[in-house]
Amino acid sequence: MTTPGEPPPERHRPSAYRPISAHQDGVAPEAGMIGQAELAALAAGSRLFATGAAESSFHLTLDWADAVLDKPVRLVAATDLPPDTLCVAITLVGSTTALGEQLPGGGEPTRAVQALERRLGTRSGAIVALNLAAENALLPLITAATLGLPLVDGDGTGRVFPLVEQTTYTLGGISSAPLALAGPGEELVLIETAPDRVEETLRPVVLSFGGWGLAACYPMRAADLARTLVPGTVSMLMAAGRPGALRSAAAPYGVRRLCAGRIVAVEGSSGHGADLAMPSVPSSIVVEESEGLGRLVRLEAHNEIVLALADGAAVAMAPDQICMISSADGMVVDVDKAEPGMAIEVLVLPAAPAWHTDEGRALGGLRAFGVPL
Amino acid sequence: MTTGSGTRGWEVPVTVAELVNGGPLAGARMYGTGERPVHHVRIVDDLSVFSTVAPHTAVVLIGQAAGGGWAVEMAMRRAWEQAAACVIAPAEGAGTVSGGSSAVLAERLGITLIFVDADPLVTAVEVASAAARPAAARTQLVARCATRLAEAGASARRVLGVLNAELPGTSVAFVDEYGLLLAGRAAALSPGRASGHRAAPSAASEPWPVEVVVRGPDGLVLGRLVAAGPAKSAGWPAVVRTVLSLAVAPLVTWAAAERLAASGDFALQSALADRLLAEAATEAATDVATEAVAGVASQAATGSTAAEAGAPPPETGAKGNRRPGTGAPETSPPAAETDKPETGAPETGPPTADTATETGARAVAQGWAVRGPVAAFMVRPQGRTPDPGDAERVRAVIVATVGQVPVISREDGWAGWSPLPPDRLTERLGAAVRALPWPCAAGVGAQVAHLRAMRDSLLGAQAAAFLAAPGGVARSDRMGPAELLAAIPGSALRAPATVVLQPLLAIDRDGTLLETLAAVLGEGGAIKAAERLGVHRNTVTARLDRIREAGYDLDDRATRLALQLACHVIKGG
Repeated sequence: MTTPGEPPPERHRPSAYRPISAHQDGVAPEAGMIGQAELAALAAGSRLFATGAAESSFHLTLDWADAVLDKPVRLVAATDLPPDTLCVAITLVGSTTALGEQLPGGGEPTRAVQALERRLGTRSGAIVALNLAAENALLPLITAATLGLPLVDGDGTGRVFPLVEQTTYTLGGISSAPLALAGPGEELVLIETAPDRVEETLRPVVLSFGGWGLAACYPMRAADLARTLVPGTVSMLMAAGRPGALRSAAAPYGVRRLCAGRIVAVEGSSGHGADLAMPSVPSSIVVEESEGLGRLVRLEAHNEIVLALADGAAVAMAPDQICMISSADGMVVDVDKAEPGMAIEVLVLPAAPAWHTDEGRALGGLRAFGVPL
Repeated sequence: MTTGSGTRGWEVPVTVAELVNGGPLAGARMYGTGERPVHHVRIVDDLSVFSTVAPHTAVVLIGQAAGGGWAVEMAMRRAWEQAAACVIAPAEGAGTVSGGSSAVLAERLGITLIFVDADPLVTAVEVASAAARPAAARTQLVARCATRLAEAGASARRVLGVLNAELPGTSVAFVDEYGLLLAGRAAALSPGRASGHRAAPSAASEPWPVEVVVRGPDGLVLGRLVAAGPAKSAGWPAVVRTVLSLAVAPLVTWAAAERLAASGDFALQSALADRLLAEAATEAATDVATEAVAGVASQAATGSTAAEAGAPPPETGAKGNRRPGTGAPETSPPAAETDKPETGAPETGPPTADTATETGARAVAQGWAVRGPVAAFMVRPQGRTPDPGDAERVRAVIVATVGQVPVISREDGWAGWSPLPPDRLTERLGAAVRALPWPCAAGVGAQVAHLRAMRDSLLGAQAAAFLAAPGGVARSDRMGPAELLAAIPGSALRAPATVVLQPLLAIDRDGTLLETLAAVLGEGGAIKAAERLGVHRNTVTARLDRIREAGYDLDDRATRLALQLACHVIKGG
């Protein structure tokens, strides 16, 4: 799990938020290297559609990345790697708030990756991100820099899902296990189990670590990675994070504007997800459209917004990402920070094509969130 | 089923609102108008079922389909697309969701949403039965009303309570002949009732709002039951009329019981009448005060009593509207009011109709006039002081001759008031006076517009009764010197009159001087007196000179009054 509810980001992004156009402008950053100079753009880009980022932990991660990036990291395409190269996905597991309180020791990336290498008997040749939301965009970079490995341009979701197994890697038949988890207190746990048991096994371990851990998982060959990842997303975020870039540049498959309006009610919700082990409770956000038909838009949220109804008709649903952008400051509004009276814009980010297959919908669609539609 | 007039329209399919307001969904929370008729019922546990839902179906959500606010909203959307009659959801499932946004959506889509507390499956069966046999459902409602009315017993207040509780969404009022609200809800009389016409069914059906005349034990109109509000379906007015008819008997019983109680107890009805007058007086005082504050001055100059002037100007029109048989709804209400939806809650708002107090309602039960125009009367025994023991007898005679009127004990007789015009009241009182076993006289006060002015009328009646000839009836508005003098025994006046006129009579051989004097004083001038007498003006002047020579100062007011009175006595004697 990667995005539990945390205080909303308060920092304004450098560029003023502008309404979305699908047009993607900007030039890719200097191909190949990410150094301290490129870090700011990646950091800004990683937060454009990410919710749940805790301000303090994000800054902490940013400082950490800055400290280890004295030697730039090479950004490579998965297809450019020798097919048998072992690639390891890196993600934060647990609460970002906990990350800000239980400070990392700095050795977590090395310990986690090396534990995996020891188990597999192979040296890893590249690091890849599980997803690219806030801290999770920076931790793979930190890992790559620490280990002197290249970072693969792409990630395993194209957006963010709450569970470790909700990735295109899983859709491609790759198991998240064996998974090595390194904690801030020198803990190291190696989990080896069936793929659908990983999340369950992981959660109590993370709690015992003090709330967070750094996971090295989805060990796979570069050829498999090339087959399963959503490519080019790292360079895309860097382009989108540069001053003046459009927010839509951060969406690999475009952005659709659902409505602009005002939140009129935030209700507890029911009827879905009761039997799911999601890290938050269901809620329902009712938005009154302030333009056009003046529709009543209901956003059903469970960890994230999974379903949008306009006047009772489904207009957007998982696996596409639905997010609220505050009209006041252009920042993403967390589901659990939504309050009546807030003026918001609701955007829909279509998910990668892999998510729109039957398997994809089963893993990241409405039913995965317990909505029986 | 029967085609009798009593159940005409009962076969029309029930509407959603009917189900909620008087049917199997009684007490459920409803959002939306509920105007659509229900033909079928469909239980839906999965949204995919909606593709086969027929129009005019009441959709009952269970299981997943009722699993939360979002599910209910999706169901509403699909129901709207399928032109369903309404969506029925368990309150439990949606309990965590405030009705607010669902209500807004119901409004937006124009589809009715109902939350029920009962098991939705049970509800579905009940709704299905009501939809399949609308007449049976309506009969059930009528039967329940009959039962509740029987429990309520003979009390106007309780009867109206039952009507308003069992016919929710419809306001029922019991008003007297003049539109005074005796019990029930003023909303039934508000101009907004015309909004019911929008949904009113075709000409063949019952008119709406429904009015039922209630006749008292004596066959006279006691009042009317009026039911208004949004007409829920073509069948609704017929059902309401039936239920109102059921309420007539208890209301008549109520009136009869009140009268019976009062007839056996003079003090009871006397106290009731006194209280009614006291309340009217308070009201008058309030009105006058209000008027003074408002600075409305012009009306005081109309010569009517203060209380009359204080009556609100539109009252006359309103009264006309509500008279039975005048087709109240056709008279258009003020334009500003027409657009107002029937809120059904004016009870707490500013009163739209005059409301009777408890005392007023009981007075109406007695058959008394509680609204103008009324005239007071007074019956006064002559040659004896009124004995409290006589009261019952006097009242029996008065009620038998004059009609249902209050009789109050006064120091010197018995007073009351009647809606009869003064001349007819005079006539009837004459009969009463003749029928009484003791010598009596009676007086009739001036007719006033309202009970509030009754005190003035009573004073007049009292004076008139005092002055009336034995066995006669005097009217306070017809009293002249003759009537005044008649109050004094003739023998007592004759001697002083003779003394006053002695100097004149001494020189008046043929009575012309006395006649001339009477004419001048009566007409107020020589010229008119000459006309009356048929003589020349100078002749009158010459005669007046002769009278002055006899020692009378005709320019002195006191002298003139004394002379005029004496003339009446001597001439009348």
